[in-house]
Amino acid sequence: MTSLSFTGIRKTFGTTVALESLDLALQPGELVSLLGPSGCGKTTALRIAAGFEIPDTGVVSLGESVITDTPAHRRNMGMVFQSYSLFPNLTVAQNVDFGLRNRKVEKAKRNSRVGEMLELVQLGELGKRYPHQLSGGQQQRVALARALAVQPEVLLLDEPLSALDAKVRSTLRDEIRRIQSELKTTTLFVTHDQDEALAISDRIGVMSNGRLEQLGTPEDVYLRPASPFVARFVGSINELPNSNGVGKILVRPEDITISEDENELTMRGTVTRVTFQGPVTIISVRVDMNDQLVNVHAASGSIHAQVGDRVSLDVTPGRGIIEAA
Amino acid sequence: MAIVNIPPLGEEGAVAQATAPSHFWRTPIDNIRNKKSLAWFGLVPFFLFLILFLLIPAISVFAQALHDEDGSFGFSAMREAISGQNLDAFIFSLKFSAGAAFVGVVFGGFLAYAAATAKRPRWLRNIVSSFSGVAANMGGLPLAFAFLSLLGRQGLGTKILNAFGWDLYAGDFKLGEVSGLITVYSYFNIPLMVLVTLPAIDGLKTSWREACANLGGSAWTYWRRVGLPILAPSLLGGFLLLFANSFSAYATARQLTDNSKIVPLRISFFLGGDISIGEDAVGYSLAAWMIILMGLSMAAYWLLRRRAERWSNS
Amino acid sequence: MRDSRFQRTLGRLLPTLVLIASAIFFAFPLLAMARFAFQNLQVIDLGWNNLFDKWSFTSVTASFSDEFFSEALTLSLKLAIGTALFTLGLLVPTAVWVHLRLPKARVFVEFLTILPYVIPAIALVAGIVVVKPHARWFLNSDYSLIPFYVVLALPFTYRSIDTGLRAIDLKVLVEASRSLGSTWIATLFRVVIPNLRAAIISSTFLTVAVVLGEYTISDVLLKRTFPSFMAQYRQSDPRGGYALAILALLGTTLLFVAIGILSKSRSTRPQQVSRSQENEILV
Repeated sequence: MTSLSFTGIRKTFGTTVALESLDLALQPGELVSLLGPSGCGKTTALRIAAGFEIPDTGVVSLGESVITDTPAHRRNMGMVFQSYSLFPNLTVAQNVDFGLRNRKVEKAKRNSRVGEMLELVQLGELGKRYPHQLSGGQQQRVALARALAVQPEVLLLDEPLSALDAKVRSTLRDEIRRIQSELKTTTLFVTHDQDEALAISDRIGVMSNGRLEQLGTPEDVYLRPASPFVARFVGSINELPNSNGVGKILVRPEDITISEDENELTMRGTVTRVTFQGPVTIISVRVDMNDQLVNVHAASGSIHAQVGDRVSLDVTPGRGIIEAA
Repeated sequence: MAIVNIPPLGEEGAVAQATAPSHFWRTPIDNIRNKKSLAWFGLVPFFLFLILFLLIPAISVFAQALHDEDGSFGFSAMREAISGQNLDAFIFSLKFSAGAAFVGVVFGGFLAYAAATAKRPRWLRNIVSSFSGVAANMGGLPLAFAFLSLLGRQGLGTKILNAFGWDLYAGDFKLGEVSGLITVYSYFNIPLMVLVTLPAIDGLKTSWREACANLGGSAWTYWRRVGLPILAPSLLGGFLLLFANSFSAYATARQLTDNSKIVPLRISFFLGGDISIGEDAVGYSLAAWMIILMGLSMAAYWLLRRRAERWSNS
Repeated sequence: MRDSRFQRTLGRLLPTLVLIASAIFFAFPLLAMARFAFQNLQVIDLGWNNLFDKWSFTSVTASFSDEFFSEALTLSLKLAIGTALFTLGLLVPTAVWVHLRLPKARVFVEFLTILPYVIPAIALVAGIVVVKPHARWFLNSDYSLIPFYVVLALPFTYRSIDTGLRAIDLKVLVEASRSLGSTWIATLFRVVIPNLRAAIISSTFLTVAVVLGEYTISDVLLKRTFPSFMAQYRQSDPRGGYALAILALLGTTLLFVAIGILSKSRSTRPQQVSRSQENEILV
């Protein structure tokens, strides 16, 4: 039994097609990320789930009920926006309390629930503060507490970390994952940051131009990209000429082996730069065949290459994806 | 900056530890160069200007007002300025100014909301805002003339209303009385309110509206618990601004009527009139009381505006 | 937003009604004034059949030949230009100084610029009347109106310049200019002012609009400015007076339209670093 699902969802804005035909089903308790560049349709999909956009065609369901036409304020979902979503005239506690009041929960239960949620996001002491007195990271925690207070069936997160500093981002990201898995809340997480998606998701949906390019676990998406777009968008990629001369082969830097041996079947090239990065060394090689620059990740210490050395490159069998010309 | 143990999230004490105190890095030269008192010297021309051309006239008004009949220092003129017919004038002016401000806030507020949320046509908001810029500053003669030709006894509008059976002047409607003044002043009050309120409405982030809906709140809930409370300082501030504007308007009133219950007109009668030395202190007292009233209104307006700004920065 | 259908229709209907009603309210007085000024027909005699009769501009052209017309108009124009220049000379350096050296004073200075609302024109002129005997040498000149007009326009002009300064990264520009060897004066004229062009033009037009419409002070002090002339002319020829008012109105409208166009053509800079990011505390 699935939780949130999209079936054949299509949405256009004027002449722009935001979503072509989205089919996506979330299992209860899982965290699915929608990953893609801006304009790919991920935010549109999220907003359709929340009820802020109406799809042109298609069905949105929650469990067994169809909710495509249910107004936003009657869907039992929690949403965390990118920024500025806390009500500035209410205190932190009043913000978290907001959804509970709308559902007419009685006062004693509301207070204890608010306390509970603030503890959950580790802001127990700040109930009486106003949003403008908090940092960006703290504000997003409150937004999270507020969304979760009403025990929503689905948690929707719209790039919640994009507006934050790098350091805050990684801490909060792990926080969100921890809370989500503790509460087992089905979650749809929209982001353009692949590190985020890879780190916290059960499954990732990579999107481009309104289409779902691949839906799979982080390993699937990274190690077995289903399309050249996915290969390029997630992680870094090298483009090597295909051995038969037609098209390209897209390979990850760590899937290329580098050696000083000479072999007529392998690709030859010259080392142009060696960058030490701690556990990994990046060796940049200019390939003879078409003068392209290739980056190879090698475990530091496993190979001693220097600028100007002649080396051979080979692709680890089974890795890489072919892109037709 | 030393690497600190990552503190338990959200504790501000630990945050304070993580940053080095800034006075470590200041040198003696910096202390002298950045002395705040020296920087204030740059504002001397501005302060001097305000003193000469704003403060001195204002103080002079009070100086003249605080005279007794025999010419010595005293409060009798100030007292007289708010008693008897003078008090009637103040009450009259307060009445129509508050009325004009109220009408301005309500209609201006709605107009601003309509313009701010209008999606089609796209030029609508610009037109409303440009026109408001013109109309808000349109005081004085053109406005008075326009309404005289519309709603004066021989006005075009009066005639049209007569055709529909409504005799505008049957009751005690007069352009120089409360209802007339409120109507005329609305012409610049509504646009002024629009100008002041448009930015405030823009400041209502759509994410608040959506968050409210997401948490189960209807449109009514949103306005009641979030929208109106946030707009309240701007609306109240707008009221005060409109009130001050209406109370102190002179040019329009002068051309519309010679009703001496309008305080600015009353003051001008005292200033230009054929009056004895003792009496002119009363005229200045009227002006002094008006300054006090305007001062209180603008002080409240200022505080409300600061409050509204605080929320728009959250 | 998916509220009920009724709410949605109401939500779309109501603003439209408000806009239409406003348009009517704001157009009618102007139309009535134009009709009175340019149609040589009494309201009592006006009917459907003679609606388009006797329209002409003679009422306004007649006023041009009045002996005081050009005098009053030139005086007002001179005062307008003088006020605009005085305003810029006073406010631009002040605003720049506040932004660069004294950011903490910004709130205080903004507060000062609201004072003209506390001491409105009629109170100000009362004060001038008091001081008059002691400063006759100054106040006798018509041009003495200029500083007081600067005061009247202060709330608008300061805000215009302040907004203009906020939109450019003043500190960075000045530091760049100074590091490349410019003196303060050179920086002001070669870097700051060119970047403030829209704000300067805006505040100049605002000043002109204020001066051309200012009646209170010139009336009490018996100066013969254009608004005073209008009021006086209206006594002898109401239709001519109204016609002049329409002209004045058209003039100021054109100024404001120009301001509107200017503020749009200058593409607004992307939002400066948002406050929340400025206040970011490392968690």
